[in-house]
Order: sequence, then structure tokens, then C-alpha cells
Amino acid sequence: MVERGAGVNADPRAAVTVTDLHKSFNALEVLKGVSLMAREGDVVSILGSSGSGKSTMLRCINLLETPDQGTIRVGEETLRFAKDCKGRVAAPDRRQVERLRRGAAMVFQSFNLWSHMTILENVVAAPVHVLKRPRAECVAEAEALLAKVGIANRRHHYPAHLSGGQQQRAAIARALAMQPKVLLFDEPTSSLDPELVGEVLRVMRSLANEGRTMLVVTHEMAFARDVSSQVLFLHQGKIDEQGPPDEVFGCPKSDRLRQFLAAAR
Amino acid sequence: MDIAFLANTLAQLLRGAPLTLELAATSVGLGFVFALTLALALQSAPATIGWPIRAYVATFRGTPLLVQIFLIYYGLGQFRPTLQALDLWGFFRQPYWCAILALTLNTAAYGAEIIRGGLQSVPHGQIEAARACGMPPWTVYRLVILPIALRQALPSYGNEIILMIKGTSLTSIVTLLEITGVAQQIISQTYRAVEVFACAGAIYLSMNYVVARALVAIEHHLSPHLRVPDIEAAVAIEGGLH
Repeated sequence: MVERGAGVNADPRAAVTVTDLHKSFNALEVLKGVSLMAREGDVVSILGSSGSGKSTMLRCINLLETPDQGTIRVGEETLRFAKDCKGRVAAPDRRQVERLRRGAAMVFQSFNLWSHMTILENVVAAPVHVLKRPRAECVAEAEALLAKVGIANRRHHYPAHLSGGQQQRAAIARALAMQPKVLLFDEPTSSLDPELVGEVLRVMRSLANEGRTMLVVTHEMAFARDVSSQVLFLHQGKIDEQGPPDEVFGCPKSDRLRQFLAAAR
Repeated sequence: MDIAFLANTLAQLLRGAPLTLELAATSVGLGFVFALTLALALQSAPATIGWPIRAYVATFRGTPLLVQIFLIYYGLGQFRPTLQALDLWGFFRQPYWCAILALTLNTAAYGAEIIRGGLQSVPHGQIEAARACGMPPWTVYRLVILPIALRQALPSYGNEIILMIKGTSLTSIVTLLEITGVAQQIISQTYRAVEVFACAGAIYLSMNYVVARALVAIEHHLSPHLRVPDIEAAVAIEGGLH
């Protein structure tokens, strides 16, 4: 079941709206109805222990996982999922999925840069081949983006020749090159050596200050506290607590969040 | 050592070289296209298409090339009336086309396996990254999956190419006068098997040496991302930027 056009909870400033998202892997129900709304310029940090469903939620927003039920809206594009009478989920329209993905760029925990392309080629590939924009224009833009994330001098290198932090900054530049409505970060610093985490977080902070809409699954409490406009705490596939960072970190209401925050300290 | 005889033999054998190269190039070329098609079909096709492909690969990998050539040339010759009715006799009565068919089917079976291995080696995360930015499936294949898979497959595929160049010698059995066929002809006239086969072997060796060097060069050209970067070149690039 796929619909286009009129959005759900149509808040004109909403960049991303997720409503009642459900997802199971076989018998395991990972998401049990989560909803969130991010306005343009919002930075939403998504916290939770491993297995809480936070990464699955982010992957559902980009449709790397197909939800069983719920609605996802990114910009103008709305996809609605529901089970039919036999309990199966109809595959969404491929073109609509591709349109939605253009607006929701993903940054992965393991960078996932294309290993056979130089850094510059990595950044240029999607705008040229997906958005069909002229190459020269994309190259100029890519160089500006690489300068912005501080690796312009590495543009002709291959991913394997860069440090983890540099690779992740390149992956952020690649995501920005799509000029997306929202940036999705899936534990962007979790596979980095501690001394490389800072350089990636610095880039992410500057993006937040520019007013980019970002959804960030992270274990970086300081980042979540300082940068977010909203914090979600997921527990066992449900949103256990949410609110502005001061409230969530300052006076957590649920026991589970208190335990989680105590353990993270 | 009879230098004059060796030189004369070599000159005669070299007249068979174009046919050897033609057989190898045609079958490797057609075989690659076929192998790639089969490997891609195995990746995405339902089981109903998958099992005939696997049966074909198992059959052609599991039987000797010589037997395949025999079966296609002499075996199918038994069905001449049927082939004539199907208007295929013009193809199957010629040893040249039977040899091409056997070599192609043989190398495609191995090639499909090699490419399948290459496709499986593509890191899943890189495919996901391509899908995540909205690339349609074919673009994902063209930009990410195939370039990585074929680079990965190249060393094994190079091996297969060399095996095919040597495999063409078996087509002498269906009267083709490629290098080995010419060699047998000379031996039947001179009875000097050692010198003639030594010359034939030397020609195959030099052909394969050239092919192997070319493959190494191609591999080197395609895999800068797998090497330690050339420090001086890197410094030059960066120096130019400052």
C-alpha cells in the first residue's frame, strides 16, 4: 500500500515524519510502533542500548529495511506500509523509494565508501548518476564539500588509504552532495579509534549549526546533549522517553533511561 | 641440432597461430558475455532458472573438453536429419563452428563460477550505500557491483583465458589446422615428434607469456586502491594543492 501526495500530520515545516512504524525480523518484533517528527533544522539524537531498534528505525527511514506497517514521509514523498489480509507487506514502488532516498542521505557506521573509486569520485557519483546533474558542476561542488570536511588534499586518494576519521568525513561529504532534506547518521563514530571521534563530531556539529536536519543514532552523550534539539530514547522497540536534551538528560523520568545514562557515564 | 629444420617447422607452425588465436579470442569473448549473463541470472533469478544453470555449469566443468568437442562434432552429426530440418546443419557440419561452440560453452561454465565468486565478494555495505542514495538497481550494478566483482574475478579469469588458449589445441582432433593440428601434420610427414612438438610448445609458451604480462598490466591498472599509495605521487598531488 503506497500513497503519494498529501502527508500525514502535515506540519508544513516537517522535514521527516515517521508514524507508527512496525518492523519484525521473522518472529522478532524490533520496532513496535515508533513515531517521530523532525522539523527543518532539527537535530534528533536517538539513544538506546543495543537491540533497542534504533538502527532499524533509521534504516527504515531510508527504506534499507522495509517496514511492516507505518508511514514515512521525507520532504514531499510519503510511503505508507500496511499488511494485507494474509499478513504480507506489499513491496513499495521502486521509483518512489528511490525518490525518497534522494532526500534522506545515509552515513553508515562502517563508512561504506566505494573502495574502487577515489574520494572525489565517491562524492561525485550519486549527483551525476542519480540526480543526472552535469559532472563539471558536481566536481566543483564536491571539491567544496571535501574542503569543508577538511580532506580536500585527499580527494584523489582511495578510501583504503585514508584513516577511519577521514573516511567518515568523506562519507559525510558524499551524503551532503545529494543535497538531501535530512541526513541520517547510523552510529557514525562507533567504529572509530577514540582519537578520531572528535574530528567527525566536529564536522557534525558544524552541520548542525548550519541548520541541517539530522537524525543521529549515537552513543556520544556529550554530542546528543549539546547539539540535539530533541532526544529520543528507544527501549525494546518503543520510544521510552523523548524531549529536549536538558529534560532527557537533566531529569530522566523512566528507570530504564536512568540506568542507561548511568551506565553511559 | 638441425637449425634449418627447426626454423622451417617454426615457420610452418606459425601459420596455424592465427587460427589458434581466433579460436581462443572468439570463445573467450563470447564465453565471457555468456558467463556474465549466467552469473547475474544466478544472483537474482528464481530457483526455476537457477537449477538449469547450475546443471549446465556442473556438466561442462565436470567433463573433459575433449569429450565435449567429440560429442558436439561427432555426436550431433548423428542427428543430421533433425539438424537439417531445423536449418542448423550448416553450422554443425563445420568443425570450426563446433569447436567454437564447445570452447565457448566450456569456458562460460568456468567463467560463470569465477564471476559468481567475484559478485559474492562485493562488500554488502558498499551495495547498501549505493542503494541508500537512490540509485536504481542497474546503476548499482554498473557503478559499484560489477566494477568490484570483475576486478576481484580478474586473476582467476586470466587463468581461465590461458587455459583456453591451450585448450584450443584439442580442436586439432576435429581436423582444425591450428598450431597443434599443423604440428601433427608435419610429424606424420617427418616422424620428428620431439622437435615439432617442442616448437609448438614454444609458440604456446610465448603466446601465454604475452597474455599473462598483459593481464598483470591490466590488473595493476585497475587496482590502485589495493596498493600502498605511491608516496612520491601522493606528495606531488598534495603539493600541487597547497
